[in-house]
Amino acid sequence: MTHLIFWRLLQLPLILTVIFLVTFTLVWILPGSPLDREDGRRPPPEVERTMLAQYNLDSPQSFLTGYVRGLAKGDFGPSLQYRGQPVRGILAKGLPVSMSLGVAALVVALFLGTFAGVMGALRPGSPLDSASLGLTLLGISLPNFVTGTILLVVFAGLLRWVPVGGWTSPVDMILPAITLGLAPAAYIARLVRLGLADIMSADYIRTARAKGLSQTKALFKHALKVAYLPVLSFLGPAAASVMTGSFVVEKVFNIPGIGDYFVKSVQNKDQFLILAIVLVYSTMLILFNLIVDVAYAWLDPRIEL
Amino acid sequence: MLRQLCTTVCLTAALLAAGCGFQSEEPSGETQGGTFRFLLGSEVKTLDPQGTSWLVDFMVIRSLYEPLLRTNAETLELEPGAAEALPTVSEDGRVYTFTIREDAKWSNGDPVLASDFIYGWKRAIFADSAADYAGLFFCIEGAEDFFTWRADQLANFSKSGKTAEQAWDAAQKRFEETVGIKALGDRELQITLIDPTAYLDELTAFATFSPVHEASASKFLDVNAGSGSVTVKAEYFKDLDALVTNGPYTLTQWDFRQRLILDQNPNYWDKASMGNTRLVIAVVIDETNRGIRYEKGEVDWYPGVPTSLPSSVDLVKSGRSDVHYSPAAGTYFYRFNCRPTIEGKPNPLADPRVRRALSMAVDREELVNNVTRQGQPVARTFVPPYALTDYKAPVEAGVTFDPEAGRKLLAEAGYPGGQGLTGMTILMNAGGGHENQAQAIARMWRENLGVEMQLEVIERTAFSDRIRTGGFTVGRSNWFGDYRDATTFLDMWRSNDGNNDSKYNNPRYDELLKQAAKTVDHAERAELLREAETILIADQPLMPLYHVTTLQLFDPARVKGIYPNAWGATRLDRVRVVADEADAAAPAE
Repeated sequence: MTHLIFWRLLQLPLILTVIFLVTFTLVWILPGSPLDREDGRRPPPEVERTMLAQYNLDSPQSFLTGYVRGLAKGDFGPSLQYRGQPVRGILAKGLPVSMSLGVAALVVALFLGTFAGVMGALRPGSPLDSASLGLTLLGISLPNFVTGTILLVVFAGLLRWVPVGGWTSPVDMILPAITLGLAPAAYIARLVRLGLADIMSADYIRTARAKGLSQTKALFKHALKVAYLPVLSFLGPAAASVMTGSFVVEKVFNIPGIGDYFVKSVQNKDQFLILAIVLVYSTMLILFNLIVDVAYAWLDPRIEL
Repeated sequence: MLRQLCTTVCLTAALLAAGCGFQSEEPSGETQGGTFRFLLGSEVKTLDPQGTSWLVDFMVIRSLYEPLLRTNAETLELEPGAAEALPTVSEDGRVYTFTIREDAKWSNGDPVLASDFIYGWKRAIFADSAADYAGLFFCIEGAEDFFTWRADQLANFSKSGKTAEQAWDAAQKRFEETVGIKALGDRELQITLIDPTAYLDELTAFATFSPVHEASASKFLDVNAGSGSVTVKAEYFKDLDALVTNGPYTLTQWDFRQRLILDQNPNYWDKASMGNTRLVIAVVIDETNRGIRYEKGEVDWYPGVPTSLPSSVDLVKSGRSDVHYSPAAGTYFYRFNCRPTIEGKPNPLADPRVRRALSMAVDREELVNNVTRQGQPVARTFVPPYALTDYKAPVEAGVTFDPEAGRKLLAEAGYPGGQGLTGMTILMNAGGGHENQAQAIARMWRENLGVEMQLEVIERTAFSDRIRTGGFTVGRSNWFGDYRDATTFLDMWRSNDGNNDSKYNNPRYDELLKQAAKTVDHAERAELLREAETILIADQPLMPLYHVTTLQLFDPARVKGIYPNAWGATRLDRVRVVADEADAAAPAE
């Protein structure tokens, strides 16, 4: 296993370089200038030329050399849209926010999803099963901005139980974590339910039950472990996407994470920011997939890495 | 197994919660002089007065820095800010002398000096900082030449064999010798202009013309040995301890994309006139979230309510006393491509008669009443007629809805019944609700002139690119005035102006603007500009549709000192939030 981890980590810089070059090329050929303003106003031509030169945007070569030189110093360059906010600073402030919200959302997703899945598998056809199935269906079908807005209007606006968004205390996490966790919860519930339904009728569980093991024990000690394997494959990419923030949820609840930049940096052609965001996301995706592979081996010793 | 899983998840959650980047809460307790809370709908990007061109940034910057003159939000007249009086102007209108008031102090107690203004302005005129609004300084003698010279010096830096410091010293020397900005003693500042620029007073009240405290900023100098550029690091303008300001407030807290808190500058010369001592600015991007905050009473003022939302139409029509809907100094228009050919084919829109005919076929009243449904002021001129006191826009020369005359004109131009006018599109950017209006206008053109138009909606950056490179026939657009002078609207239609994307070219128009720039007499100058706009309106390189409006929410019984106006001029330091009616009746100190 150590060999695998080592080998995968060794590949990381190579994969990142390829991703970087592809993203850079795509962004460079995107039409429009990053210095364009929404209202179409432009500075005089000589000022514009100077701005392009100062930000190394006058040619792909000067951009690449400037960028690599900056990277060597840990500098991701300036944001062209949020001038005065270096990309490094934007990430340093936003990433922990998005990551912690993501973890909270994952916790919500795991608990809700496992609970609904187990209920469905143990008592198929019962009202509890229908309710949990209904919930998962809602979770998958309703887009974030609908759930988010409803939760915000009801719990912050009408009932006033929680603040209207922001990011100053753990209370601020509740609504966005539920909003963000609902969709993955639905997937997890379906995966767990399907998995358990299969495993609970497997021979080894029947043997264990015949030997006098209670259903709860058989479930938690033996079945759930195996039923979690498909959930794990889902969790890798889900964790990466949930932990790098969500454009919609962060906007609705006014959370200063990095989800917003995924969309806005592309809309504004904010080259430095796009590149950094893509690199962060790719790194997380690769790392989480690695963690999932390792966890596989831990959950099912038959799997060899 | 489940227990293990729970433990792992909880542990990770706890670990992350410890470092989840929670932002500081607002300091508790009321301030002695009152707090004014309001919302901003987009993030404040920088507090560098010379490093931005965003209106939200300027709004905060104007509270931190005080330029030489300021605009009185109630009367909209210019009044002395850091200067003790309005400037003295030489007879030829080219030399302005300002005297800085003796009691003008920086937040650290240092006196505000003429050299601080020069230091701030240099940051825009030196190509190093690549300032958006460098062009505003180009009316000053030698400024544009110097900008280009320094840009060339930096471009050729690596070949010059000099160090960044040597190049910088040479640039400083050249600036002193060639640019018409001089300190005559500690408190006197003299500006020499190329032409008598009638709106220089306006410019010196603009946030980009703020001073910067040299002693503290120069500790943050970033000398780039590779490119030769010398800039003040962006960190300076967010460093709560280092940043020194001369306006009514100092920066107390700034959580990016969340909140800014500004507290009274203890050394501000006009503290007695302030209506509050603390500003709490909540940055909230989502409009639903903003709406809830305002309705819950978390904020006293909600400026810039998006007017394109259906809910805004209801708000405007609700008759609520806290809804303030007013015209702004901006125009929504369609620009026509005036180039003789587009992509090698002859362009029918190069003929002013075709453009005029198209414009005559648009019923603007219907547009504002039934499509936007907000009753914006219908536009016949480019300069909003209500926006300037000393300039009368030639409204009577504007195009009115007259389909019959339009059809005649179109036939005269060789396109009877719209025949031969094909392959034209209305180009617009996605987002912002431009489609409905475009559909209505396309329908009017089809029904009134027989001209078929396609609609094309593309992403904003691609849209800007197409407009800039001339890849359009008709493009939607809007324009807001920067400063209170007709030239902020009219300059962009000069044949050589960088913002003239229509490539409109009328030598007489250029000539009139040139003459106006050299004219000292205000009335005579206004007349020249009016004549120029009359030509512009006759030629219709643009089809003005309506003048834009702004919507803001505040309870006038509780919040005193906000005067909705076309230019968005607000003195945040003069706003007073009163608890009840009795308080409201008490005079301001």
